[in-house]
Order: sequence, then C-alpha cells, then structure tokens
Amino acid sequence: MKHWWHSFGLLLKWNVLRLRSELPMFMVIQTLISVGIVIGFSFIIPEIDPLSALYLTTGAMTVSLITVGMVVAPQIVAQQKERGLLNYQRTMPVPRLALLAADAVVWVVSALPGLAVTLGVATARFDLDVTVSPWVIPGIVLVSAGAAGIGYGIAYVAKPVLVGVITNLVLVISLMFAPVNYPAERLPGWAQEVHEWLPFQYMAQAIRESVDVPPAGVTLLPFAVLAAWAVAGLAVTSRVMTRRV
Amino acid sequence: MTNAPPVLEIEHLTKDYRKGVRANDDITLQVGAGEVFGLLGHNGAGKTTLLNQVIGIAKPTSGTIRIDGRDAVADPVMARDACSMQPQTQAPLDGVSPREAIELMARLRGADRRRAKRRTAELIEVLDIQAWQDAKGERLSGGVQRLTAFAMAAAEPGRLVMFDEPTNDVDPVRRRMLWAEVRKLADQGCAVVLVTHNVVEAERAVDRLAILDHGRVVDQGTPSQLRGDHANKLRFEVTCTSAGAAAGLAERFTGIEPAVSTGRRMMVPIWADDCPAALTWAQDEQRAGNVDEFSFTPVSLEDIYIRLVGPEGNGNTEEVGDEALVA
Repeated sequence: MKHWWHSFGLLLKWNVLRLRSELPMFMVIQTLISVGIVIGFSFIIPEIDPLSALYLTTGAMTVSLITVGMVVAPQIVAQQKERGLLNYQRTMPVPRLALLAADAVVWVVSALPGLAVTLGVATARFDLDVTVSPWVIPGIVLVSAGAAGIGYGIAYVAKPVLVGVITNLVLVISLMFAPVNYPAERLPGWAQEVHEWLPFQYMAQAIRESVDVPPAGVTLLPFAVLAAWAVAGLAVTSRVMTRRV
Repeated sequence: MTNAPPVLEIEHLTKDYRKGVRANDDITLQVGAGEVFGLLGHNGAGKTTLLNQVIGIAKPTSGTIRIDGRDAVADPVMARDACSMQPQTQAPLDGVSPREAIELMARLRGADRRRAKRRTAELIEVLDIQAWQDAKGERLSGGVQRLTAFAMAAAEPGRLVMFDEPTNDVDPVRRRMLWAEVRKLADQGCAVVLVTHNVVEAERAVDRLAILDHGRVVDQGTPSQLRGDHANKLRFEVTCTSAGAAAGLAERFTGIEPAVSTGRRMMVPIWADDCPAALTWAQDEQRAGNVDEFSFTPVSLEDIYIRLVGPEGNGNTEEVGDEALVA
C-alpha cells in the first residue's frame, strides 16, 4: 500500500507539472460551462420555480463532473493511446490504478472551483436557499469516481477515433436526455426505465440531495449505485491495462 | 561473472500472436550481470516482442523467463520492478522538462529525492543535453527526446536494463556518449539488453549478441565468435556507379562466398591472399566506368549479419550462397 501511495504521489506531481500551463485555462472554461448551463437554461425557462432552479443548479454541477470524468479524461487517454504513450506507461513499475487515480484527481480537483462558483451564481440568480450537507464530499468523490471509471473504461476499450464520438454522445445524453437538469417524471416511461439502469440520475440525485438535503434525508441508494459503477468501470479498465497481449 | 547465475534467463521462448504470426520461435539466451547483450535483427524480427515479454506486457505462448532466478512470466509486477526499460515508443514528455522527467522516473523506480537529483544532473551532463534540461518535452528535437528517454531508464536502472533502439535520431557525437553510459551501467553490475538494427554500433558496444531472424535466434556469441573463421578474411567493398552496376558485378564476382549487393554497394568476403587479384579486378572495373571506389577491410559483423539474415531478412541466403559458390 505504501508503494501505491508513493507511486500515486509522484504520478500526481508528474501530472500537475505536465498540465501546469493548461490547468488555469481549463478551470476557467470548466467554470464558464457550468455557470453557462445555469444562466442559459434560465433563458429557456423564464419563469423558473424553486424546484426547477434546484434541479438546474445541481444538474449543472453534475454535468460539470460528468464532463470531466466521461469526456475530458477519456479523450486525453485516447490521445495518449494514439501516440503510443500508454505502451510506455505499461512498462513503468507503478500500480495501474495509481496511474488512473493520479490522472483523474487532477481533472476532478480542477473542476471544483467551477462547482463552487456555479452554486454561488445560481443561489444568487434564483434566490435559492440551500442546506449543504457533509454528504457533498462523498457525493462529489463518488460521482467523479463513477464518471471517471466509466470514462476510462470507454477510453481503454474503444478505438481512439471512436472515443471522441462516444464521449460527446454521453455529454448530450447527460445534458438533455437524462433526469439530471429536470425531474425524471418529465421523461417518457420507457426512458425513465432505461435511466434506472444508467448512472446519470443517480449522479444528479447524489449531488442534489447533498447540496440541498430533502426533509426525508439523503437517499443512500445513489451512493451505492455510483460505487458499483465506479468499481465496474475501474475493473474493466484495470483488466485492459494489465492484460498481456 | 561466469559463476554467478545470469540475471536474465530465457528458455525455449515462443510467442504466437492471435493472428497466427509467430513473433518469437524457441529463443534461448542468458544475460549476466556486467554484460551488454545485443539483440540484432531486421524490423519485425521479434526483438521488441521479446522485450515486451520480459517486462510483462506481452505473455509468452510457451517457454520461461527468469529474472534473478524468479519467474517473470508468473509475476510481471516483479519483472517491472527489477527491470527498467526504454521502450521504442515515445516517452511521455509533454509539458515536462528532461530534468523533471528523468528525476520523476528515478523516484518512481525507488531512488530517494537526493539520489534522483544527483543521477539526473549526472546523466544530463554526460549526455550533453544541459542546453535543453529545462525546456518542455514537446519543444525538444527527436534526438533530445530519445536521449531523455534513455536517461529515464538509466537513472535508476535495477538489475536489468533494456534499451530498445536507444540511438535512433541521436547525433553521432552523443551516440558515443550514450554507448559509454551503457558500458558504465554494465560495469556497475547491471545486465544490459540492447535492441538495435545498427550492426556497426552494436559491434562496438556489446559483449555478446544474438542475431534474430523471423523470431528465431540464428546465431549468438561474442562478436569474434560470430566472426569465427572469417577472422583471416577481408571484406571487399565496392561502391559502383549505379545500383544496376552493383548487382551486375555482384553476380560476376565470386570471393569466398558470393557477393551481395545493396543499392550501389557490392560486398564480398575474400581471403587476404586473394587481395592483389581483387585489386586488379576493381581497377579494371573502375577504368570501365562501373566502379566509383573500393576498399578492403577486415570482415565485420555487418557482413556476418547480412549473410545470416539476408539483405531483406529473408534468411534464405545460405541456399543462394551455396549455389553461387558452386558456380
């Protein structure tokens, strides 16, 4: 385990050094996208009720984490794959999951300021009254881990040219066709059923309920489902990474 | 050195890819501590596949690989800990400078901070890349990237170090520096495996070598063992005025073995005693306008290599050679 943390620490340092000139720009853009979703949707729906406002705010935060884990991270892995860098990494004496974790942590942490700003802007814009609970921490961790687990799974399994298309599809689904920015009841019945098997609504629920705790308390099911998705995604990724051809 | 068990022991290693391509065919070789072992062969001869199996990113179809007596096939994690490698593929240098990359790699391989810093400074100096030590990877030339990747593997080498084509894109002066560093690693007790298709360089850098052709070891030993009874032969090399002329002359000239032509060059081993006759012949051809220049040199490893695997790596030159000898 000591070796794991030692490797993780050094790989994290490597990633921060590697991305030092891009990370500030990334943080700014990530924040703009997230805030943009809130403001933009409020133009689409002029008379916004408090429930819709809450969905929109926490939905934007969720989409931000989905973007990082399921779009940015896998697209970068796909680029690295194309350039043969993954083969180099495979020869390094480091645990495979430490390699992934060090990568994912950089992206997720760089998305955090955007989440805070989004919440701030949205509460001001919609006069929202939120009750942020400590559950927001495991919430963000699990949503990120779930998104990154699936994202890396896509990146490692799919051909690099397909990764861009697949991740864009994921983004459109999460933004428009998943009960993230609006309640599930607005979707047709069959779509609601499909989403019971997909991670998006659980991601949204985990963030929404930990940012504004409902009277009945935080539901634990989303956390369990997301943990399962994270484990499944990482298992596939780890299998692909350690597979000997 | 001969009493100690070898650091790397490969026995009857065969690797078939799923498409039915046999990349390695019954390879047996050993590399001891303090030894630089060369793997020579054409593109696609199976050199990189062999390395990938040692480091545990490819799995042998059959056969064994042991590093310091431990089973590397069963325990690839152990193999990666014990062995550092410069793969043929590009190193991940985007956004990081050579100094940062070498130091981080040394620390990932277990060096403490001070030792990693010291080794990094040392390697940057001996490879003469100080001018670029703080430049970001994407701004470096191919040669400096390659030297950085070399240093990343050499910084904290472990028991076994493997370099896959380390001198590609590297200028001739720094190549010599690199070879000197390879020798130093061996002198410090590492077993070094060097993959190359540059025979001339390999001859100077390695203690022993194996020649691979279509996944098989066609010969192995020290350079002088490989030369064998070729020791009292000379290589007669003729640069012709055209490739056609070279092929024509190669067909007509018979030395100890038939002549081989590649491009404008024709090469053939001859007995030292036959040198005067060959000289007269070459001068005649030069006057006839077929030959630009010619030389006589001791038979090199390159001749042996080309004889063993053929100019295109077809491995069928023996038959051709015998026929030509009879003629």
